[in-house]
Amino acid sequence: MDKNVKLITFLVLIIFAIGSIYPLFHVFITSFKTVSEYIENRVFLPTKWVLDNYKVAIGQGHLLYYFLNNAILIPAAMLFYLFVCLTAGFAFGRLRFRFRLPLFLLTLFLMIFPQMLLSLQIFRICNKLYLTDTYLGVILVWTAYFAPFGTYIMSTYFSSIPYEVIESARVDGASTWRILTQIATPMALPMMGFLIIIGFQSMWNELPFSLLLLQSMEKRTVTLGVAMMQGQYGIPDPTRSAAIMLASIIPVVIFLFFQKYIAKGTFAGSVKG
Amino acid sequence: MDLRKTNWQTQEKMDMEMLMAEKSLRLRKKPSLKAQEQRDAYLLIAPLMILTFAFIFFPMVSNFIYGFTDWRGFGTLNWVGFDNFRTMVEDERFWQSIKNTLILLLFIPLGVFIPLCLAALLRGGLKGWKFFRAIIYLPHVLGYVILGMVFNLFLRSNGPLNTLLQMIGLQSWALDWLNRPLLALLSLGTIYGIFMRIGFGTIYFLAAMGGVDEQLYEAARVDGAGWWTRFWHITLPSIRFNIEFLVVMSVIENVARAFSFIYTFSRGGPGYSTHTLEYSLYTLGFTNGRIGYASAWSVVLFFICAIIAVMQIRLMRWNDG
Repeated sequence: MDKNVKLITFLVLIIFAIGSIYPLFHVFITSFKTVSEYIENRVFLPTKWVLDNYKVAIGQGHLLYYFLNNAILIPAAMLFYLFVCLTAGFAFGRLRFRFRLPLFLLTLFLMIFPQMLLSLQIFRICNKLYLTDTYLGVILVWTAYFAPFGTYIMSTYFSSIPYEVIESARVDGASTWRILTQIATPMALPMMGFLIIIGFQSMWNELPFSLLLLQSMEKRTVTLGVAMMQGQYGIPDPTRSAAIMLASIIPVVIFLFFQKYIAKGTFAGSVKG
Repeated sequence: MDLRKTNWQTQEKMDMEMLMAEKSLRLRKKPSLKAQEQRDAYLLIAPLMILTFAFIFFPMVSNFIYGFTDWRGFGTLNWVGFDNFRTMVEDERFWQSIKNTLILLLFIPLGVFIPLCLAALLRGGLKGWKFFRAIIYLPHVLGYVILGMVFNLFLRSNGPLNTLLQMIGLQSWALDWLNRPLLALLSLGTIYGIFMRIGFGTIYFLAAMGGVDEQLYEAARVDGAGWWTRFWHITLPSIRFNIEFLVVMSVIENVARAFSFIYTFSRGGPGYSTHTLEYSLYTLGFTNGRIGYASAWSVVLFFICAIIAVMQIRLMRWNDG
Protein backbone atom coordinates (compact mmCIF):
# COMPACT_ATOMS: atom_id res chain seq x y z
CA MET A 1 0.00 0.00 0.00
CA ASP A 2 2.61 2.51 1.07
CA LYS A 3 4.76 1.54 -1.86
CA ASN A 4 1.89 2.17 -4.26
CA VAL A 5 1.26 5.58 -2.75
CA LYS A 6 4.92 6.46 -3.21
CA LEU A 7 4.84 5.32 -6.83
CA ILE A 8 1.71 7.33 -7.61
CA THR A 9 3.16 10.40 -5.92
CA PHE A 10 6.31 10.05 -7.91
CA LEU A 11 4.45 9.71 -11.21
CA VAL A 12 2.15 12.64 -10.51
CA LEU A 13 5.11 14.79 -9.53
CA ILE A 14 6.98 13.87 -12.66
CA ILE A 15 3.99 14.80 -14.79
CA PHE A 16 3.68 18.18 -13.12
CA ALA A 17 7.41 18.77 -13.25
CA ILE A 18 7.41 18.06 -16.99
CA GLY A 19 4.32 20.21 -17.39
CA SER A 20 5.93 23.20 -15.75
CA ILE A 21 9.38 22.80 -17.22
CA TYR A 22 8.57 21.75 -20.79
CA PRO A 23 6.97 25.01 -22.02
CA LEU A 24 10.00 26.87 -20.70
CA PHE A 25 12.33 24.37 -22.30
CA HIS A 26 10.52 24.91 -25.57
CA VAL A 27 11.09 28.65 -25.33
CA PHE A 28 14.73 27.99 -24.50
CA ILE A 29 15.44 25.84 -27.56
CA THR A 30 13.34 28.04 -29.84
CA SER A 31 15.41 31.06 -28.90
CA PHE A 32 18.46 29.39 -30.48
CA LYS A 33 16.78 28.40 -33.76
CA THR A 34 16.90 30.49 -36.90
CA VAL A 35 13.55 31.90 -37.95
CA SER A 36 13.42 29.66 -41.00
CA GLU A 37 14.28 26.55 -39.02
CA TYR A 38 11.47 27.16 -36.53
CA ILE A 39 8.89 26.99 -39.31
CA GLU A 40 9.79 23.38 -40.05
CA ASN A 41 11.23 22.24 -36.75
CA ARG A 42 8.92 23.12 -33.90
CA VAL A 43 9.79 20.69 -31.18
CA PHE A 44 13.23 19.21 -31.77
CA LEU A 45 16.55 20.67 -30.73
CA PRO A 46 17.96 23.19 -33.17
CA THR A 47 20.20 21.63 -35.81
CA LYS A 48 22.38 24.70 -35.60
CA TRP A 49 22.44 26.79 -32.42
CA VAL A 50 22.52 30.48 -33.30
CA LEU A 51 22.61 33.65 -31.23
CA ASP A 52 20.98 35.87 -33.86
CA ASN A 53 17.69 36.08 -31.98
CA TYR A 54 19.42 37.46 -28.92
CA LYS A 55 21.20 40.07 -31.01
CA VAL A 56 17.92 41.14 -32.58
CA ALA A 57 16.10 41.18 -29.25
CA ILE A 58 18.77 43.34 -27.66
CA GLY A 59 19.29 45.57 -30.71
CA GLN A 60 15.80 46.15 -32.07
CA GLY A 61 13.97 45.27 -28.88
CA HIS A 62 15.90 47.89 -26.88
CA LEU A 63 16.29 45.39 -24.08
CA LEU A 64 19.40 47.06 -22.74
CA TYR A 65 17.41 50.24 -22.16
CA TYR A 66 14.85 48.27 -20.24
CA PHE A 67 17.44 46.58 -18.06
CA LEU A 68 18.99 49.94 -17.31
CA ASN A 69 15.58 51.31 -16.32
CA ASN A 70 15.02 48.39 -13.98
CA ALA A 71 18.44 48.95 -12.48
CA ILE A 72 17.44 52.51 -11.63
CA LEU A 73 13.80 52.00 -10.77
CA ILE A 74 13.82 48.90 -8.60
CA PRO A 75 16.58 49.82 -6.12
CA ALA A 76 15.12 53.30 -5.71
CA ALA A 77 11.61 51.99 -5.21
CA MET A 78 13.00 49.36 -2.86
CA LEU A 79 14.43 52.00 -0.53
CA PHE A 80 11.10 53.79 -0.37
CA TYR A 81 9.30 50.50 0.11
CA LEU A 82 11.56 49.30 2.93
CA PHE A 83 11.36 52.61 4.72
CA VAL A 84 7.58 52.72 4.55
CA CYS A 85 7.09 49.08 5.59
CA LEU A 86 9.57 49.37 8.43
CA THR A 87 8.17 52.54 9.97
CA ALA A 88 4.51 51.67 9.56
CA GLY A 89 5.08 48.02 10.46
CA PHE A 90 6.81 49.04 13.67
CA ALA A 91 4.09 51.47 14.62
CA PHE A 92 1.27 48.99 13.95
CA GLY A 93 3.07 46.08 15.57
CA ARG A 94 4.59 47.75 18.58
CA LEU A 95 3.11 51.11 19.50
CA ARG A 96 -0.21 51.99 21.07
CA PHE A 97 -2.21 54.78 19.56
CA ARG A 98 -5.77 55.73 18.86
CA PHE A 99 -7.37 54.33 15.70
CA ARG A 100 -4.58 51.80 15.47
CA LEU A 101 -6.91 48.88 14.66
CA PRO A 102 -9.19 50.73 12.22
CA LEU A 103 -6.20 52.13 10.35
CA PHE A 104 -4.54 48.73 10.25
CA LEU A 105 -7.70 47.09 8.96
CA LEU A 106 -8.04 49.79 6.34
CA THR A 107 -4.51 49.03 5.17
CA LEU A 108 -5.34 45.34 4.91
CA PHE A 109 -8.57 46.19 3.13
CA LEU A 110 -6.78 48.27 0.50
CA MET A 111 -4.36 45.46 -0.25
CA ILE A 112 -6.74 43.52 -2.41
CA PHE A 113 -7.95 45.93 -5.06
CA PRO A 114 -6.76 45.16 -8.58
CA GLN A 115 -4.27 47.48 -10.18
CA MET A 116 -6.55 48.11 -13.14
CA LEU A 117 -9.30 49.36 -10.86
CA LEU A 118 -6.98 52.10 -9.63
CA SER A 119 -5.04 52.74 -12.79
CA LEU A 120 -7.56 54.90 -14.60
CA GLN A 121 -7.58 57.38 -11.74
CA ILE A 122 -3.90 57.00 -10.87
CA PHE A 123 -3.12 58.00 -14.42
CA ARG A 124 -5.25 61.11 -14.03
CA ILE A 125 -3.69 62.01 -10.69
CA CYS A 126 -0.15 61.47 -11.94
CA ASN A 127 -0.94 63.59 -14.96
CA LYS A 128 -1.98 66.43 -12.68
CA LEU A 129 1.19 66.07 -10.62
CA TYR A 130 3.40 65.83 -13.72
CA LEU A 131 4.37 62.31 -12.70
CA THR A 132 3.42 60.41 -15.86
CA ASP A 133 6.37 59.06 -17.77
CA THR A 134 8.71 59.73 -14.85
CA TYR A 135 10.56 57.29 -12.66
CA LEU A 136 9.30 59.04 -9.55
CA GLY A 137 5.68 58.42 -10.50
CA VAL A 138 6.19 54.68 -10.84
CA ILE A 139 8.26 54.54 -7.66
CA LEU A 140 5.56 56.25 -5.61
CA VAL A 141 2.74 54.20 -7.08
CA TRP A 142 4.61 50.93 -6.63
CA THR A 143 5.42 51.79 -3.04
CA ALA A 144 1.82 52.75 -2.32
CA TYR A 145 0.49 49.56 -3.86
CA PHE A 146 2.97 47.04 -2.47
CA ALA A 147 3.69 48.56 0.96
CA PRO A 148 0.43 47.48 2.68
CA PHE A 149 1.37 43.82 2.38
CA GLY A 150 4.95 44.51 3.50
CA THR A 151 3.59 46.51 6.42
CA TYR A 152 1.39 43.61 7.41
CA ILE A 153 4.37 41.24 7.37
CA MET A 154 6.59 43.61 9.35
CA SER A 155 3.91 44.33 11.92
CA THR A 156 3.35 40.63 12.61
CA TYR A 157 7.08 40.28 12.99
CA PHE A 158 7.54 43.25 15.29
CA SER A 159 4.66 42.20 17.48
CA SER A 160 6.37 38.84 18.02
CA ILE A 161 9.71 40.13 19.31
CA PRO A 162 10.10 39.89 23.08
CA TYR A 163 8.37 42.67 24.88
CA GLU A 164 11.09 43.20 27.50
CA VAL A 165 13.74 44.15 24.98
CA ILE A 166 11.88 47.20 23.82
CA GLU A 167 10.35 48.20 27.11
CA SER A 168 13.67 48.20 28.94
CA ALA A 169 15.07 50.53 26.30
CA ARG A 170 12.08 52.76 26.74
CA VAL A 171 12.54 52.83 30.50
CA ASP A 172 16.14 53.83 29.88
CA GLY A 173 14.76 56.83 28.09
CA ALA A 174 15.40 55.87 24.48
CA SER A 175 13.20 57.67 21.98
CA THR A 176 10.88 55.77 19.66
CA TRP A 177 13.10 56.60 16.72
CA ARG A 178 16.15 55.26 18.54
CA ILE A 179 14.33 52.07 19.47
CA LEU A 180 13.27 51.60 15.87
CA THR A 181 16.66 52.23 14.29
CA GLN A 182 18.96 50.72 16.89
CA ILE A 183 17.00 47.88 18.43
CA ALA A 184 14.04 46.84 16.32
CA THR A 185 15.56 47.17 12.86
CA PRO A 186 18.66 45.06 13.57
CA MET A 187 16.38 42.38 15.01
CA ALA A 188 14.21 42.50 11.91
CA LEU A 189 17.06 42.02 9.44
CA PRO A 190 16.19 38.44 8.47
CA MET A 191 12.58 39.48 7.91
CA MET A 192 13.77 42.33 5.75
CA GLY A 193 15.51 39.74 3.59
CA PHE A 194 12.09 38.27 2.79
CA LEU A 195 10.67 41.71 2.33
CA ILE A 196 13.29 42.61 -0.24
CA ILE A 197 12.67 39.44 -2.20
CA ILE A 198 8.90 39.80 -2.11
CA GLY A 199 9.22 43.45 -3.09
CA PHE A 200 11.67 42.65 -5.85
CA GLN A 201 9.42 39.99 -7.32
CA SER A 202 6.34 42.17 -7.27
CA MET A 203 8.15 45.15 -8.78
CA TRP A 204 10.04 43.21 -11.41
CA ASN A 205 6.85 41.51 -12.61
CA GLU A 206 4.57 44.53 -12.31
CA LEU A 207 2.70 45.40 -15.50
CA PRO A 208 -0.47 47.52 -15.22
CA PHE A 209 1.00 50.61 -13.57
CA SER A 210 4.13 50.74 -15.68
CA LEU A 211 2.07 50.08 -18.80
CA LEU A 212 0.00 53.19 -18.16
CA LEU A 213 2.56 55.49 -16.58
CA LEU A 214 5.66 54.85 -18.65
CA GLN A 215 4.61 55.96 -22.09
CA SER A 216 7.92 56.54 -23.85
CA MET A 217 10.12 53.69 -24.97
CA GLU A 218 13.20 54.99 -23.11
CA LYS A 219 11.46 54.64 -19.76
CA ARG A 220 10.01 51.15 -20.04
CA THR A 221 10.83 48.34 -17.65
CA VAL A 222 11.92 44.88 -18.80
CA THR A 223 8.56 43.30 -18.09
CA LEU A 224 6.72 46.11 -19.84
CA GLY A 225 9.05 46.09 -22.84
CA VAL A 226 8.70 42.35 -23.32
CA ALA A 227 4.93 42.52 -22.83
CA MET A 228 4.69 45.24 -25.51
CA MET A 229 6.66 43.00 -27.84
CA GLN A 230 3.85 40.46 -27.49
CA GLY A 231 1.40 42.92 -28.97
CA GLN A 232 3.48 43.76 -32.02
CA TYR A 233 2.90 41.80 -35.16
CA GLY A 234 5.76 40.68 -37.32
CA ILE A 235 8.12 39.70 -34.54
CA PRO A 236 9.14 36.11 -35.25
CA ASP A 237 8.66 33.60 -32.44
CA PRO A 238 12.37 32.79 -32.02
CA THR A 239 13.10 36.48 -31.41
CA ARG A 240 10.27 36.67 -28.94
CA SER A 241 11.62 33.56 -27.22
CA ALA A 242 15.03 35.17 -26.90
CA ALA A 243 13.42 38.20 -25.27
CA ILE A 244 11.56 35.92 -22.85
CA MET A 245 14.80 34.18 -21.95
CA LEU A 246 16.61 37.44 -21.33
CA ALA A 247 13.79 38.80 -19.20
CA SER A 248 13.72 35.62 -17.11
CA ILE A 249 17.42 35.42 -16.32
CA ILE A 250 17.48 37.75 -13.34
CA PRO A 251 14.35 36.43 -11.57
CA VAL A 252 15.58 32.86 -12.05
CA VAL A 253 19.07 33.63 -10.74
CA ILE A 254 17.58 35.35 -7.71
CA PHE A 255 15.30 32.39 -7.16
CA LEU A 256 18.18 29.92 -7.28
CA PHE A 257 20.28 31.93 -4.84
CA PHE A 258 17.55 32.76 -2.38
CA GLN A 259 15.33 29.68 -2.69
CA LYS A 260 15.18 29.14 1.05
CA TYR A 261 14.25 32.73 1.72
CA ILE A 262 11.58 32.71 -0.95
CA ALA A 263 9.96 29.51 0.26
CA LYS A 264 9.89 30.90 3.77
CA GLY A 265 8.95 34.43 2.81
CA THR A 266 6.07 33.30 0.68
CA PHE A 267 4.35 31.93 3.75
CA ALA A 268 5.12 34.81 6.03
CA GLY A 269 1.85 36.23 7.14
CA SER A 270 -0.16 33.37 5.77
CA VAL A 271 0.87 30.31 7.75
CA LYS A 272 -0.74 29.43 10.98
CA GLY A 273 1.76 28.53 13.65
CA MET B 1 8.51 33.14 15.16
CA ASP B 2 4.96 32.60 16.15
CA LEU B 3 2.75 34.24 13.60
CA ARG B 4 -0.38 33.36 15.47
CA LYS B 5 0.45 36.11 17.88
CA THR B 6 -0.53 38.90 15.59
CA ASN B 7 -1.39 42.35 16.53
CA TRP B 8 -4.91 42.19 17.76
CA GLN B 9 -4.15 39.61 20.33
CA THR B 10 -0.75 40.86 21.33
CA GLN B 11 -2.09 44.30 21.91
CA GLU B 12 -4.10 43.21 24.90
CA LYS B 13 -1.25 41.06 26.10
CA MET B 14 1.12 43.97 25.75
CA ASP B 15 -1.13 46.15 27.83
CA MET B 16 -1.23 43.49 30.52
CA GLU B 17 2.51 43.06 30.49
CA MET B 18 2.92 46.77 30.54
CA LEU B 19 0.86 46.97 33.70
CA MET B 20 2.85 44.24 35.33
CA ALA B 21 6.15 45.76 34.26
CA GLU B 22 5.10 49.05 35.74
CA LYS B 23 4.19 47.47 38.99
CA SER B 24 7.38 45.53 39.31
CA LEU B 25 9.53 48.50 38.45
CA ARG B 26 7.45 50.77 40.65
CA LEU B 27 7.47 53.22 37.86
CA ARG B 28 4.82 55.84 37.74
CA LYS B 29 4.17 56.42 34.07
CA LYS B 30 4.05 60.02 33.17
CA PRO B 31 1.00 60.87 31.06
CA SER B 32 3.26 62.63 28.58
CA LEU B 33 5.00 59.35 27.79
CA LYS B 34 1.84 57.91 26.36
CA ALA B 35 1.07 61.02 24.40
CA GLN B 36 4.61 60.96 23.08
CA GLU B 37 4.22 57.37 21.94
CA GLN B 38 1.03 58.25 20.16
CA ARG B 39 2.63 61.20 18.40
CA ASP B 40 5.56 59.04 17.31
CA ALA B 41 3.21 56.40 16.02
CA TYR B 42 1.31 58.84 13.83
CA LEU B 43 4.58 60.16 12.51
CA LEU B 44 5.76 56.65 11.67
CA ILE B 45 2.61 55.61 9.83
CA ALA B 46 2.45 58.94 7.99
CA PRO B 47 4.46 57.84 4.92
CA LEU B 48 2.26 54.78 4.40
CA MET B 49 -0.92 56.71 5.05
CA ILE B 50 -0.06 59.53 2.68
CA LEU B 51 0.91 57.18 -0.13
CA THR B 52 -2.05 54.85 0.22
CA PHE B 53 -4.38 57.80 0.51
CA ALA B 54 -3.06 59.46 -2.62
CA PHE B 55 -2.65 56.41 -4.83
CA ILE B 56 -5.16 53.87 -3.58
CA PHE B 57 -7.89 55.42 -1.46
CA PHE B 58 -8.37 58.60 -3.46
CA PRO B 59 -8.41 56.85 -6.88
CA MET B 60 -10.97 54.42 -5.54
CA VAL B 61 -13.27 57.16 -4.32
CA SER B 62 -12.78 59.07 -7.56
CA ASN B 63 -14.05 56.07 -9.50
CA PHE B 64 -17.40 56.53 -7.80
CA ILE B 65 -17.58 60.16 -8.86
CA TYR B 66 -16.34 59.65 -12.41
CA GLY B 67 -18.83 56.83 -12.87
CA PHE B 68 -21.49 59.53 -13.12
CA THR B 69 -19.69 61.50 -15.81
CA ASP B 70 -18.91 61.06 -19.48
CA TRP B 71 -15.24 61.90 -19.15
CA ARG B 72 -12.96 60.70 -21.94
CA GLY B 73 -9.61 61.68 -20.49
CA PHE B 74 -9.60 65.20 -21.89
CA GLY B 75 -11.98 68.03 -22.67
CA THR B 76 -15.04 68.86 -20.64
CA LEU B 77 -16.59 66.69 -18.04
CA ASN B 78 -20.38 66.35 -18.03
CA TRP B 79 -22.54 65.00 -15.28
CA VAL B 80 -24.70 62.26 -16.77
CA GLY B 81 -26.39 60.80 -13.71
CA PHE B 82 -27.03 57.08 -13.89
CA ASP B 83 -26.63 56.89 -17.68
CA ASN B 84 -23.39 54.91 -17.49
CA PHE B 85 -24.95 52.37 -15.19
CA ARG B 86 -27.99 52.05 -17.43
CA THR B 87 -25.78 51.52 -20.48
CA MET B 88 -23.74 49.03 -18.50
CA VAL B 89 -26.57 46.67 -17.58
CA GLU B 90 -27.65 46.64 -21.22
CA ASP B 91 -24.10 46.09 -22.43
CA GLU B 92 -23.50 42.56 -23.59
CA ARG B 93 -19.79 42.93 -22.89
CA PHE B 94 -20.52 43.63 -19.24
CA TRP B 95 -22.41 40.40 -18.76
CA GLN B 96 -19.84 38.51 -20.78
CA SER B 97 -17.10 39.83 -18.49
CA ILE B 98 -19.06 38.84 -15.41
CA LYS B 99 -19.72 35.43 -16.86
CA ASN B 100 -16.04 34.93 -17.74
CA THR B 101 -14.97 35.96 -14.25
CA LEU B 102 -17.43 33.49 -12.75
CA ILE B 103 -16.35 30.68 -15.06
CA LEU B 104 -12.74 31.24 -14.03
CA LEU B 105 -13.81 30.84 -10.41
CA LEU B 106 -15.08 27.34 -11.23
CA PHE B 107 -11.48 26.24 -11.68
CA ILE B 108 -10.58 27.06 -8.09
CA PRO B 109 -11.81 23.81 -6.45
CA LEU B 110 -9.46 21.76 -8.62
CA GLY B 111 -6.69 24.32 -8.16
CA VAL B 112 -6.96 23.75 -4.41
CA PHE B 113 -7.76 20.06 -4.37
CA ILE B 114 -4.84 18.89 -6.51
CA PRO B 115 -2.18 20.58 -4.34
CA LEU B 116 -3.96 19.26 -1.27
CA CYS B 117 -3.72 15.67 -2.49
CA LEU B 118 -0.14 16.13 -3.63
CA ALA B 119 0.86 17.56 -0.28
CA ALA B 120 -0.89 14.74 1.55
CA LEU B 121 0.95 12.21 -0.58
CA LEU B 122 4.24 13.98 -0.03
CA ARG B 123 3.80 14.30 3.71
CA GLY B 124 5.61 11.04 4.31
CA GLY B 125 8.64 12.45 2.56
CA LEU B 126 10.01 11.58 -0.83
CA LYS B 127 13.47 11.26 -2.26
CA GLY B 128 14.29 14.15 -4.52
CA TRP B 129 11.48 16.32 -3.20
CA LYS B 130 13.74 19.37 -2.99
CA PHE B 131 14.50 19.05 -6.67
CA PHE B 132 10.83 18.73 -7.57
CA ARG B 133 9.99 21.63 -5.31
CA ALA B 134 12.38 23.89 -7.18
CA ILE B 135 10.90 22.85 -10.51
CA ILE B 136 7.24 23.14 -9.67
CA TYR B 137 7.87 26.46 -7.97
CA LEU B 138 9.72 27.91 -10.95
CA PRO B 139 6.63 29.23 -12.79
CA HIS B 140 5.79 31.27 -9.71
CA VAL B 141 9.11 33.09 -10.00
CA LEU B 142 8.79 34.16 -13.61
CA GLY B 143 5.73 36.31 -13.17
CA TYR B 144 2.50 36.42 -15.08
CA VAL B 145 3.73 38.47 -18.03
CA ILE B 146 6.43 35.99 -18.98
CA LEU B 147 4.21 32.98 -18.26
CA GLY B 148 1.46 34.42 -20.44
CA MET B 149 3.91 34.70 -23.30
CA VAL B 150 5.32 31.23 -22.73
CA PHE B 151 1.91 29.57 -22.73
CA ASN B 152 0.72 31.66 -25.63
CA LEU B 153 3.62 30.33 -27.65
CA PHE B 154 2.99 26.83 -26.35
CA LEU B 155 -0.71 26.68 -27.24
CA ARG B 156 -0.66 28.32 -30.68
CA SER B 157 -2.45 26.32 -33.32
CA ASN B 158 0.91 25.46 -34.89
CA GLY B 159 2.73 25.43 -31.58
CA PRO B 160 4.62 22.63 -29.86
CA LEU B 161 1.64 21.12 -28.04
CA ASN B 162 -0.29 20.54 -31.23
CA THR B 163 2.83 19.41 -33.08
CA LEU B 164 3.45 16.83 -30.37
CA LEU B 165 -0.18 15.68 -30.40
CA GLN B 166 -0.03 15.21 -34.14
CA MET B 167 3.23 13.32 -33.88
CA ILE B 168 1.78 10.75 -31.51
CA GLY B 169 -1.28 10.31 -33.70
CA LEU B 170 -3.81 12.41 -31.81
CA GLN B 171 -4.63 14.78 -34.67
CA SER B 172 -8.19 15.24 -33.48
CA TRP B 173 -6.91 16.53 -30.12
CA ALA B 174 -4.82 19.23 -31.72
CA LEU B 175 -7.35 22.03 -31.28
CA ASP B 176 -7.03 25.72 -31.87
CA TRP B 177 -6.67 26.40 -28.14
CA LEU B 178 -6.48 30.17 -28.29
CA ASN B 179 -8.75 31.14 -31.15
CA ARG B 180 -12.06 29.53 -30.35
CA PRO B 181 -14.02 31.57 -27.79
CA LEU B 182 -15.03 28.95 -25.24
CA LEU B 183 -11.86 26.94 -25.69
CA ALA B 184 -9.71 30.01 -25.10
CA LEU B 185 -11.50 30.68 -21.83
CA LEU B 186 -11.09 27.06 -20.75
CA SER B 187 -7.41 27.14 -21.65
CA LEU B 188 -7.04 30.28 -19.58
CA GLY B 189 -8.83 28.68 -16.63
CA THR B 190 -6.85 25.45 -16.82
CA ILE B 191 -3.49 27.16 -16.98
CA TYR B 192 -4.11 30.19 -14.79
CA GLY B 193 -6.63 28.67 -12.40
CA ILE B 194 -5.23 25.19 -11.92
CA PHE B 195 -1.82 24.64 -13.37
CA MET B 196 -0.17 27.74 -11.99
CA ARG B 197 -1.61 27.21 -8.51
CA ILE B 198 -0.13 23.76 -8.06
CA GLY B 199 3.44 24.68 -7.16
CA PHE B 200 2.61 27.24 -4.53
CA GLY B 201 -0.36 25.30 -3.19
CA THR B 202 1.58 22.08 -2.69
CA ILE B 203 4.41 23.79 -0.86
CA TYR B 204 1.99 25.82 1.22
CA PHE B 205 -0.10 22.82 2.29
CA LEU B 206 2.99 20.77 2.96
CA ALA B 207 4.26 23.44 5.34
CA ALA B 208 0.86 23.52 7.02
CA MET B 209 0.69 19.75 7.38
CA GLY B 210 4.11 19.79 9.02
CA GLY B 211 2.43 21.48 11.96
CA VAL B 212 -0.13 18.73 12.52
CA ASP B 213 0.50 16.63 15.61
CA GLU B 214 2.11 13.36 14.56
CA GLN B 215 0.56 11.55 17.54
CA LEU B 216 -2.87 11.94 15.98
CA TYR B 217 -1.71 9.89 13.01
CA GLU B 218 -0.09 7.32 15.27
CA ALA B 219 -3.27 6.87 17.27
CA ALA B 220 -5.33 6.54 14.09
CA ARG B 221 -2.92 3.99 12.69
CA VAL B 222 -3.17 1.93 15.85
CA ASP B 223 -6.94 2.00 15.45
CA GLY B 224 -6.48 0.64 11.97
CA ALA B 225 -7.49 3.74 10.01
CA GLY B 226 -6.42 3.63 6.37
CA TRP B 227 -4.65 6.35 4.41
CA TRP B 228 -7.86 7.85 3.13
CA THR B 229 -9.53 7.90 6.55
CA ARG B 230 -6.53 9.63 8.08
CA PHE B 231 -6.52 12.19 5.29
CA TRP B 232 -10.22 12.87 5.69
CA HIS B 233 -10.47 12.89 9.48
CA ILE B 234 -7.11 14.21 10.60
CA THR B 235 -5.33 16.12 7.86
CA LEU B 236 -8.29 18.03 6.46
CA PRO B 237 -9.75 19.30 9.75
CA SER B 238 -6.30 20.22 11.06
CA ILE B 239 -5.47 22.50 8.17
CA ARG B 240 -8.94 23.87 7.56
CA PHE B 241 -7.68 27.40 8.00
CA ASN B 242 -5.00 26.94 5.36
CA ILE B 243 -7.48 25.52 2.88
CA GLU B 244 -9.83 28.43 3.36
CA PHE B 245 -6.91 30.82 3.08
CA LEU B 246 -5.80 29.35 -0.23
CA VAL B 247 -9.36 29.45 -1.58
CA VAL B 248 -9.62 33.14 -0.75
CA MET B 249 -6.17 33.77 -2.24
CA SER B 250 -7.22 31.98 -5.42
CA VAL B 251 -10.38 34.06 -5.66
CA ILE B 252 -8.24 37.19 -5.36
CA GLU B 253 -5.84 35.97 -8.02
CA ASN B 254 -8.73 35.24 -10.36
CA VAL B 255 -10.78 38.36 -9.80
CA ALA B 256 -8.12 40.93 -9.08
CA ARG B 257 -4.71 39.83 -10.34
CA ALA B 258 -5.27 38.23 -13.73
CA PHE B 259 -4.67 41.28 -15.92
CA SER B 260 -0.95 40.74 -16.57
CA PHE B 261 -1.44 37.12 -17.53
CA ILE B 262 -4.39 37.74 -19.82
CA TYR B 263 -2.59 40.68 -21.42
CA THR B 264 0.14 38.47 -22.82
CA PHE B 265 -1.71 35.15 -22.96
CA SER B 266 -4.75 36.04 -25.02
CA ARG B 267 -5.15 39.84 -25.00
CA GLY B 268 -8.71 39.23 -23.86
CA GLY B 269 -9.47 37.61 -27.18
CA PRO B 270 -10.72 36.22 -29.39
CA GLY B 271 -13.26 39.02 -29.25
CA TYR B 272 -14.39 39.44 -25.66
CA SER B 273 -14.11 35.77 -24.80
CA THR B 274 -11.32 36.05 -22.22
CA HIS B 275 -12.20 39.47 -20.82
CA THR B 276 -12.63 39.44 -17.08
CA LEU B 277 -14.14 42.50 -15.38
CA GLU B 278 -10.67 43.70 -14.51
CA TYR B 279 -9.42 43.30 -18.07
CA SER B 280 -12.45 45.09 -19.48
CA LEU B 281 -11.54 48.20 -17.48
CA TYR B 282 -8.35 48.36 -19.49
CA THR B 283 -10.06 47.91 -22.84
CA LEU B 284 -12.80 50.41 -22.05
CA GLY B 285 -10.72 53.01 -20.29
CA PHE B 286 -7.51 52.97 -22.24
CA THR B 287 -8.17 51.39 -25.60
CA ASN B 288 -11.57 53.03 -26.11
CA GLY B 289 -10.90 56.04 -23.89
CA ARG B 290 -14.32 55.90 -22.22
CA ILE B 291 -13.07 56.63 -18.74
CA GLY B 292 -16.40 57.74 -17.30
CA TYR B 293 -18.07 54.58 -18.52
CA ALA B 294 -15.20 52.40 -17.32
CA SER B 295 -15.48 54.04 -13.88
CA ALA B 296 -19.06 52.80 -13.66
CA TRP B 297 -17.77 49.27 -14.29
CA SER B 298 -15.08 49.72 -11.67
CA VAL B 299 -17.74 50.55 -9.10
CA VAL B 300 -19.11 47.05 -9.63
CA LEU B 301 -15.66 45.54 -9.40
CA PHE B 302 -15.05 47.56 -6.25
CA PHE B 303 -17.99 45.97 -4.47
CA ILE B 304 -16.98 42.48 -5.55
CA CYS B 305 -13.45 43.04 -4.28
CA ALA B 306 -14.72 44.64 -1.07
CA ILE B 307 -16.67 41.49 -0.28
CA ILE B 308 -13.60 39.35 -0.90
CA ALA B 309 -11.44 41.68 1.20
CA VAL B 310 -13.83 41.46 4.13
CA MET B 311 -13.81 37.68 3.83
CA GLN B 312 -10.02 37.66 3.84
CA ILE B 313 -9.67 39.97 6.82
CA ARG B 314 -12.21 37.99 8.80
CA LEU B 315 -10.29 34.85 8.03
CA MET B 316 -7.03 36.41 9.17
CA ARG B 317 -8.56 37.72 12.37
CA TRP B 318 -10.39 34.49 13.04
CA ASN B 319 -7.03 32.80 12.79
CA ASP B 320 -5.69 35.10 15.46
CA GLY B 321 -8.24 33.67 17.82
